[in-house]
Amino acid sequence: MSGVEVQNITKRFGRALALDDVTVSFPDGGFFGLLGPSGSGKTTLLRTIAGFHYPEAGRIRIGDRPVEQVPVEQRDIGMMFQNYALFPNMSVADNVGFGLRVRRVPAAEERRRIAETLDLVQLGGLADRRPAQLSGGQRQRVALARAIVTNPKVLLLDEPLSALDKSLRVDMQIELKRIQRDIGITTIFVTHDQEEALTLSDRIGILRAGRIVQVGPPREVYDRPVDAFAAGFLGEANWIPDSCLAGLDLPASPQGHRFAVRPEALAIGTAPDLARNALRGRLVQRVFAGAMATCLIEVEGSPWKLVARDRDIPDLPGAGEVWLSWAARDTIAVPA
Amino acid sequence: MTRAALPLLGRLWLALILVFLYAPILVMAAMSFNASPFYQLPFEASTVWYEKMSANPQILAAALRSVLIALATTLIATTLGTMASIALFRYDFPGKRVLQVLLFPPIAIPWLITGTAMLIFFFAVGIGRGTPAVIIGHVALALPYVIVTVTARLSSFDITLEEAARSMGAGAWTVLRRVTLPWIAPGVVAGALFAFAVSFDQFVVSYFLSEPGDSTLPVLIYTAIRKGFTPEINAISTLIITLSMTVMVLAARYSRLGGDR
Amino acid sequence: MADLAAAMDRRRLVTLLSPAYLWLLVAVFLPLSAMLFFSLLTDLPQDAPDWGLTLDNYGQFLTNPTYATLLWKSLKLGVMVTLACILIGYPCALVLARTIRGRARETLFLLVILPFWSNSLVRIFSWAIVLRGNGVLERSLDWLLPFDIRLNLMFTTPAVVIGLVHSYLPYVILTSYLALQAIDDDIIEAARSMGASRWTILRRLLLPLSLPGLLAGAVLVFVPVVGSFMEPRILGGRMGTYYGTVIEDQFIAVYNWPLGAALSFILLAVVLLIIALASPVLKRART
Repeated sequence: MSGVEVQNITKRFGRALALDDVTVSFPDGGFFGLLGPSGSGKTTLLRTIAGFHYPEAGRIRIGDRPVEQVPVEQRDIGMMFQNYALFPNMSVADNVGFGLRVRRVPAAEERRRIAETLDLVQLGGLADRRPAQLSGGQRQRVALARAIVTNPKVLLLDEPLSALDKSLRVDMQIELKRIQRDIGITTIFVTHDQEEALTLSDRIGILRAGRIVQVGPPREVYDRPVDAFAAGFLGEANWIPDSCLAGLDLPASPQGHRFAVRPEALAIGTAPDLARNALRGRLVQRVFAGAMATCLIEVEGSPWKLVARDRDIPDLPGAGEVWLSWAARDTIAVPA
Repeated sequence: MTRAALPLLGRLWLALILVFLYAPILVMAAMSFNASPFYQLPFEASTVWYEKMSANPQILAAALRSVLIALATTLIATTLGTMASIALFRYDFPGKRVLQVLLFPPIAIPWLITGTAMLIFFFAVGIGRGTPAVIIGHVALALPYVIVTVTARLSSFDITLEEAARSMGAGAWTVLRRVTLPWIAPGVVAGALFAFAVSFDQFVVSYFLSEPGDSTLPVLIYTAIRKGFTPEINAISTLIITLSMTVMVLAARYSRLGGDR
Repeated sequence: MADLAAAMDRRRLVTLLSPAYLWLLVAVFLPLSAMLFFSLLTDLPQDAPDWGLTLDNYGQFLTNPTYATLLWKSLKLGVMVTLACILIGYPCALVLARTIRGRARETLFLLVILPFWSNSLVRIFSWAIVLRGNGVLERSLDWLLPFDIRLNLMFTTPAVVIGLVHSYLPYVILTSYLALQAIDDDIIEAARSMGASRWTILRRLLLPLSLPGLLAGAVLVFVPVVGSFMEPRILGGRMGTYYGTVIEDQFIAVYNWPLGAALSFILLAVVLLIIALASPVLKRART
């Protein structure tokens, strides 16, 4: 196994700058999530590491080996595609064995490794099926098995779970994490689903307009976003209006900073909690969604959102004046 | 007109058109089995014209030449056409639209013009008339059909299959052989059958390019008709049309031309 | 780095594309250009060492009214055959595309376009057998009708038209069918829900929406018919002298290749003009 280093990568498509001087390091054995809105360059970065795009400038290392000039087929990677890209004319076993066949692995070892890998993804009995005879979740497992059977140096996942429905997706997230930990392979994956990124990754990189905005462990990125974009993209942020800043306990100087609070850090009541930061607002709507509830509150003309367990929200008089309070350490400060 | 009458009328119209299209061919086929050389009725069943045909060395030589030319055309046009289709599908490059448009002149310009132009040019550059000239011409006419057919099949091909194969370590040749070609095979087969049909049925270009006395079957038939035809020609024509229709039914089954997709 | 990859891609692209297009260049595009050159020659270089450049061949077309008359005759033939193909073929495509469903439609469609892919010369020949004096058609009519009938169709203009319609009808049906089949059923149902009659649906929806297909078919019929020579020769007899047969004569019988090239080139110009005129509507078909 080995880590991946990307240094000062620039990639253009015609006039459009898809990657703008990107430098990021993917640690050995880690599970790294690349997150960003569409067009942010996350898929381009993944495909550049894979070798489908050649960068105009910059360096890429997989382990100790510089690979900028190495074609895809010689980079020793495993990749899972969004639509799985299973070969329709081959059985499950032949799909999984494709990379071994190409590497001229002896037949006996090929059979052994196909069986091993299919067991790992819990598809032991389906080796002779065709992709068309499999369910969505099974196809996904075949695609994963196919990507890891050759023991590649790095596993690249392009929106691996986006084609599955919600309940199956959660199961597969757990499964994917287990397999990745079992074989300890450096994994880079692209997603636009922030919850998925938070669940799977031990490091997250947020991209915007071809640049890396922030890299770090999920909790750190969530709790201490470096700018307003990161704060708003990963999780939701209630921005504190400038006119309300007076009297609040703030982590940084009001000059040159903006402040926000996460919806789940807020408590709501009919009177201010004087031990904590508190703001007055007007309750617009309370939305019940089973265990959780969402309140929409207007604070000095800006819309706020509160998320809490429904039972933790006191009975409120319809719509009207309410108080929101939160612990001072939950205030997020970003440069204005 | 009532609601039920209209579809009925439509079906009747369709039936009349099928009669118009097939009646003369069936009459010709029937007459090839009629003993009378002047198509006299009553019909007297006989295979005498087929026997005469198979004893006619000129017809046999022309038939053999036609088949060989069609096979050579099929081989060359299918190979070159498939290569070009893959390139047109896989790469984006300036001038791609122009190359696609350039496929239409060989189809759209009347063969009379293309044929005479080839004759002039081949004489000017020393190729002259004869079987090589005919093959060169036929391949050019068949190429657009192959490219259109294979491209149609490729349009349903998922390019990430190629990317997946490369990510697993397969080189360009392996990707082509194990992933791309298996997928487009039905289109290639259909294209090859079209190419065969274009060449085997081609009259105009063969007519201008073949050496007198060294002609293909359609050219021989044309010359024979103009001299005053004999039922032998009838017999060989029946065989030709049966063969080319069979080829086309096969091509249609591979390319699923028309109908509900 | 990117240059390296691009260079490799470019090499593959050229390797894959150039054989096919070089072939088309040598066998189609260079010959068409050579024809222009030859049409400006006084004599063939291989026959006469003292050949020169001239516009006489085009001058002949202008001074000798025979050529213009024959071109006009061929154009009229083209119009006749095209109109006949549209009137016969479009309703047929309509029936196939809009009233017949499932496997029956597939089979019938194949049956309709199958003859188009079989040998056209042989099909024209089969009409010669049917139409000839005292042939199959006349004998059948004799047998069916109480009165004596002499059609004498063979070696007449109608015979040529019948043969050409038979040859090219499948084109119109094919292109119209494809255009009609592509029309979304929902559109028709929406129109019916708004109370449109069948006639209104045909006139206001089906016809305009399938017009590009119909026109494509018309061009595909008109162009080769104007350049036809084999069909008039076999079915037209003495009536069968057209522009195409004159060109054939220049190459096969008279051996006046420069004149033949000039006549061919004029025909090519006419053909290109027709395609250019039709192309605005045809382009709409792709969107």
